[in-house]
Amino acid sequence: MAAGAKPEHVTVRMYQVGFGDCFLASFTYARPLADGRRERHVLIDFGSTHAPHHQKLDWAAIARRVADDCGGKLDVVVVTHRHKDHLSGFANDEAAAIVDELAPGLIVRPWTEDPELAATATGPLGAGSRQLLAGLAKGQEFANDLARAFDARARGLPGHVRQLAEDQLKNAEAVERLQRWAADHDGEYLHAGMRSKIEQVVPGVSAEVLGPPTVDQFPDVVNARARDPEYWMLYQGLVTSGLPATMLGGGHDEDDEEENEWLALPATHDRVPALDIPPGPARWLAERLQGQQVHSLQRIVRSLDDALNNTSLILLLTVGNRRLLFPGDAQIENWRFTLDRIPKDRKLKNRLQSVDLYKVGHHGSRNASPRSLLKLWGGDKRLVSLMSTSPGVHGKSEETAVPRATLVAALEEGTRLFSTEDLGPIEAVTVEADTAGKEGFVPTPPS
Amino acid sequence: MRRGVLSKADLGPQTVEMTVVAQDPTVRTAAGRILTARVRVPAQRLEPGPTSARFRTVDYDATIGELGDAAVLTEVDDHGQVVYRDAYRRISDRQILEDPVFHAQNVFAIAARTLAAFESALGRRLPWSFGGHQLYLVPHAFAEANAYYSDDDRALLFGYFDARGERVFTCLSHDVVAHETAHAVLDGLRHRFLEPSLPDQAAFHEAMADIVALLSVFSVKEVVNLTLGEPDGAGRIDAAAVSPGAIRRSLPLVLAEQMGGALLQTRGGLRRSAGLRPPADWRKLPEWEEPHRRGEVLVAAVLDTLVALWVDRVKPLIRNGELDRDRAGEEGAKSASHLLGMTIRAIDYLPPVDFAFGDFLEAILRADAELAPDDPHGYRVALRKSFERLGIHRPPPDRVVDLATVPTAPRYHGLNFAAMRTDVDEVFRFIWENADWLELDPRYYTRVESVRPAVRVGPDGLVANEAVADYIQLLEVTADEFVGLASQWAKARGEDARIERHALLKPDTRVQLVGGGTLVFDQFGRAKYHIRKPLEDWRRQARRLDYLARTGMFDSARRVGFSTRAARGQRFAALHLPAARSGEEW
Repeated sequence: MAAGAKPEHVTVRMYQVGFGDCFLASFTYARPLADGRRERHVLIDFGSTHAPHHQKLDWAAIARRVADDCGGKLDVVVVTHRHKDHLSGFANDEAAAIVDELAPGLIVRPWTEDPELAATATGPLGAGSRQLLAGLAKGQEFANDLARAFDARARGLPGHVRQLAEDQLKNAEAVERLQRWAADHDGEYLHAGMRSKIEQVVPGVSAEVLGPPTVDQFPDVVNARARDPEYWMLYQGLVTSGLPATMLGGGHDEDDEEENEWLALPATHDRVPALDIPPGPARWLAERLQGQQVHSLQRIVRSLDDALNNTSLILLLTVGNRRLLFPGDAQIENWRFTLDRIPKDRKLKNRLQSVDLYKVGHHGSRNASPRSLLKLWGGDKRLVSLMSTSPGVHGKSEETAVPRATLVAALEEGTRLFSTEDLGPIEAVTVEADTAGKEGFVPTPPS
Repeated sequence: MRRGVLSKADLGPQTVEMTVVAQDPTVRTAAGRILTARVRVPAQRLEPGPTSARFRTVDYDATIGELGDAAVLTEVDDHGQVVYRDAYRRISDRQILEDPVFHAQNVFAIAARTLAAFESALGRRLPWSFGGHQLYLVPHAFAEANAYYSDDDRALLFGYFDARGERVFTCLSHDVVAHETAHAVLDGLRHRFLEPSLPDQAAFHEAMADIVALLSVFSVKEVVNLTLGEPDGAGRIDAAAVSPGAIRRSLPLVLAEQMGGALLQTRGGLRRSAGLRPPADWRKLPEWEEPHRRGEVLVAAVLDTLVALWVDRVKPLIRNGELDRDRAGEEGAKSASHLLGMTIRAIDYLPPVDFAFGDFLEAILRADAELAPDDPHGYRVALRKSFERLGIHRPPPDRVVDLATVPTAPRYHGLNFAAMRTDVDEVFRFIWENADWLELDPRYYTRVESVRPAVRVGPDGLVANEAVADYIQLLEVTADEFVGLASQWAKARGEDARIERHALLKPDTRVQLVGGGTLVFDQFGRAKYHIRKPLEDWRRQARRLDYLARTGMFDSARRVGFSTRAARGQRFAALHLPAARSGEEW
């Protein structure tokens, strides 16, 4: 490896994967490095929950496109967090075989993915962090049970809850492949404040880890509801034993009663199943509230979703004069750790202020691109923001829509925004920049 | 007295005492027992549930889909009368936690007491927003760390969950029950306060529910005593315990954190508000636009007032640096109770739309002055100072018109004074006849939404007899038409006509402009006050539209300023989620 080598050019590709993320950051050097190559390639996420334009997503074709773009060798794979929309492509056999051929040299994941930590109750982490790990594991079991509890054809609110739960499944196949690549080559699990081995694999690039903090570093990184399964464990038993048909608007299953006994209040009086309630105001209320617990489940599964999002790596890559910010799906609780440091750390503020490329957090949702971060950039139109998203996945109302119209307007006003929304299958948005000079990223015209 | 006109029950007490959890099961006596209190609840015929004329308690658990027995709180006395008997005067901690009949009594008593506080202050029966007479109380509604008012279900729903190995019932938390009841009462009184408007209005629902919860808890003497600490053998405590600093430090201590971070409404807000000192420019900071955080400013202003009133009331009791703990506690509870009455009475004097914090200050001061013209204890001065210290000031004088000072007289020709106390058409007729006098443009769609007679008894025993009417005005235009109208108006006033369309509003985006006012009539049917939010206040309209566009408050047809018609129950439930609090979201 050429000592002191520094990339002179950087290219970032954002591939069309529908509702998900798949980015390739490529660094070009003036002279060949020790292995004779003049490039280094970092794949950041490789997943999706919804294909674009209601078409089937061809992961093998996307993998082939990545293989072409990286010249047959991937140096680093970053998986910002465990959600399906960030790693599901690795579960596709054909796509995984292609990535396998690219022989990724370093697999980078957040600290919460470290199998050693999950397997032992002790270790370098404090009680809060271990509790979070246990909570996340329980949460995924819950999501697994919940996804199975609802009928696959469920529509409306039950269908949405099932979808939310499915998005959080363990993605075991993809994770196993990542484990294997990490074992075959190298892997690391990062938390805020660490430096990534990316710096060794991609010379001349600084890789600062801004998030996620451990719970010991920042207890508020995940709210108590998600960290402590006690808040929703009452539903775990119910879901495991089968949701009452009343919850789904169907008939009542007598067999469920015995298994649900553990849920009963320590009551001194009898309880009557909903469908046996005689006509009158109590039955009117009971019928009204039958859908209530689906709303409760929706809130619980959303808080679990947020918790997993908050395990996202936030990476700030610096190469020459260019800074690239990849925050995965980090929500405000993860971001807060960094935002709180800004007033006391002028250098950090300067680094964040001079970002040239921002990967829009969580596909443009309302809670993943902090207002104070955009304020810090002060409407610098040199800044390029890349948003990988697909509208309509999380509802059409303004309350739930992703991307959020107000955020998109702010990004359009304050940055040069590029979105995957209008791309066809296997297409990508490509931007590039020299690492020297003042000129920021510019789009590469399609060849 | 003629036999048969009044029954024995009619001559009985007006209230009964019911045992409740004083705050929540984590607030304990010195002996480590759960602190309970006996609170006064209006006496009324109770059916199993308990069910009264205003509440129907139903122990339905939606999570397991089962209905519990209706709680029976009455018995037949020696005279054959069905009477309430408090079976829980001596109650064990285990019974508090495990007895669903006590849970039903607890939630019913606190809800009934809260409604009574509103009805007593406003001098009339209050309607629920959904039109029926009975609000469902559901003490074990679902297994979730949440509790909320759902007008769609005509219900207050209280969840339960497990934390630290114990089952936690939100129905056993005094401030949670009072908070949710206050939401329901407020929605019945000011249903437009949940509609899209400026950030102060969104904050008010949570703030007022917190204020009612806070003052309701602190009007329980047992709770106040607990904040003062243990007395000596003679029942006395050090005067230092009632200094402003000590009170401020001790008040939040009883707002325990049984719910931890799980329940955000009430608890977190109340605890924070107690020591809240927002930055001087909080109104300009986006994070202070978030409804919960913004509401905390209002709660903090009321809490500062409570501290000032209490300190003032206990001063004469101090002898040789000491005072009687129970008397000090009594004065604290009285201060809370008095302040609760002042804040509730203000609701009648609020404008029906586009509420701003200054309107609340104005309404409290004016409503209180009507009932108690003298202010011998300086309550109003203390309140004004507390609000102004937090940057909340009275609105401009032209927003609250003392109609007695208008040089010309209104027309009452053809009007029926008696009907003006109850009849919306009669009040509309008054507005129509006096549109110029009221400075209203009758060409806009105008509707009188309610007329409410009120009878209030002042501290000196004098009765204030009033009727309060609300009207609204609506105008639907496109965003560009709005800019045109606003610019014409500004130009006519010689102002710089810089009212512009927000970037997120397209020229043809439909917007709804809202105005309205509250008319207060005296006992003779004469108009006394006009509290106004003119539709033609174009600068306010522009601020409102900008705020709604900036925060993405479009309806499903991408219109702005219209009622979103979203199910309010789920909106309240979502309000309690942590993500809603950051102030960083879009």
